[in-house]
Amino acid sequence: MLRKLSLWAASALIAFTSLNFELQESTGDQLIGVWEPSNGRSRIKIDKIGTKYYGRVVWLIEPIDPETNLPKVDKNNPDAALKNVPLKGYRMLKDFVYQTDGTWSEGTIYDPLNGSTYNCIIKMKDKNTLDIRGYIGIQALGRTDVWKRLATAPAKK
Amino acid sequence: MIKNILRIAGTMVLPALLIWGCSGSGTVHEYAVNDLNVTLEGPLFEGPNQGQYSLEIDLKSILGDAYQEGMLISDARLTSATVTPGDSLDFAMVRSLVLSFASDDAEVAMQEVAFKNPLPAESSSVALEVAPDAELGSLVSGGTVYLVLDADLAEDFYDGNRSFKINLTMDLTVKS
Repeated sequence: MLRKLSLWAASALIAFTSLNFELQESTGDQLIGVWEPSNGRSRIKIDKIGTKYYGRVVWLIEPIDPETNLPKVDKNNPDAALKNVPLKGYRMLKDFVYQTDGTWSEGTIYDPLNGSTYNCIIKMKDKNTLDIRGYIGIQALGRTDVWKRLATAPAKK
Repeated sequence: MIKNILRIAGTMVLPALLIWGCSGSGTVHEYAVNDLNVTLEGPLFEGPNQGQYSLEIDLKSILGDAYQEGMLISDARLTSATVTPGDSLDFAMVRSLVLSFASDDAEVAMQEVAFKNPLPAESSSVALEVAPDAELGSLVSGGTVYLVLDADLAEDFYDGNRSFKINLTMDLTVKS
C-alpha cells in the first residue's frame, strides 16, 4: 500500500514538474507577436530563437532616408563594418530570457538614433500591453515606454 | 624623475606581460561548413523575414587527431559567408541579407556577423560583407550556435517556404 502511494506521489510530482515547465515555456511565448512603441513610428516583431526572445523592426513609418533617398541603414552603429545594415529588419531587442516573476530580462534594447545599447527589462501589463524599460546600470536610471500589440499583420509601406 | 617613469612603466607593463604569459596565444584553425540549409517558413510577406540553422560545433571532430582533452575555443572570427538562394528564389526577389549568431547562454549576446545590402540581382550566389571585429568565441564555445539569416523580401510569397544555402569559414583560436 505504502509502495503504491509512493509511486503515485512520484508520478504526480513528475507530472506537476513537467506541466509547470511547459506552462512557463508557453507563458514566456506570450511575448511573441508584433508590437508598436508609443511613438507609432515603427513596429517590432518579437520571435523566439532557441530559448531566448528577440525583436526586429518589420515596419517603419519613414523607411526612406531623406538624405540618401535610399532605405534607411544603421548609420550610427558603433561597428563601422555594420553601418550599412538595413534598419528595416534590424534586431533591436536581443537575448531576453523569461523569468519566473513574469518578466523578460537579461536582454538589451538598441536605439538606432544614437547607436547605443541599453539593458532592458520587459513586463507584460496585460496581454496586449508591454512596459519596456531601458536602463544603464541600475533599473532606477532608465526610461519606460509602453508598447501595444498589433492584432493584425503590419500594413505595407 | 627617471625612477618615477620606470615605476609607472613597470606598473603598466608587468600586469600586461603576466596576462599575456598566462593566457597564451593559442593556435588558429580554419573551420569551414557548407550547404547549411536555412528555411524561411511561409506564408512570407514583403519585408524582413528570418530563418535559422542550429550549428553544432564539436571541437573534437573539427580537430581530429590534433584534439587533446581540455582544449577549448578562446576566440572565433568569421572570415567568409556565402549565401545561395534555393530553387524557387532568386536575388531579384531579395533586397538585403543579414547574418547573425545567437546562443542559448544567457550571458552571451546575439551578434550581427555579416550582411549584404543591396544584393546584386544578377548573381547566383553572394559573398556577404563580414564584420571582421565581431568576436564570436563565447558564441561558438558553447557547442551550439544559432545562425539567423534575415532576408528582406521584395514581394509576398503565399505558396510556401523559401530556402537558402550558407557556406561559412571561421578562424577558431584553440587553447589547451
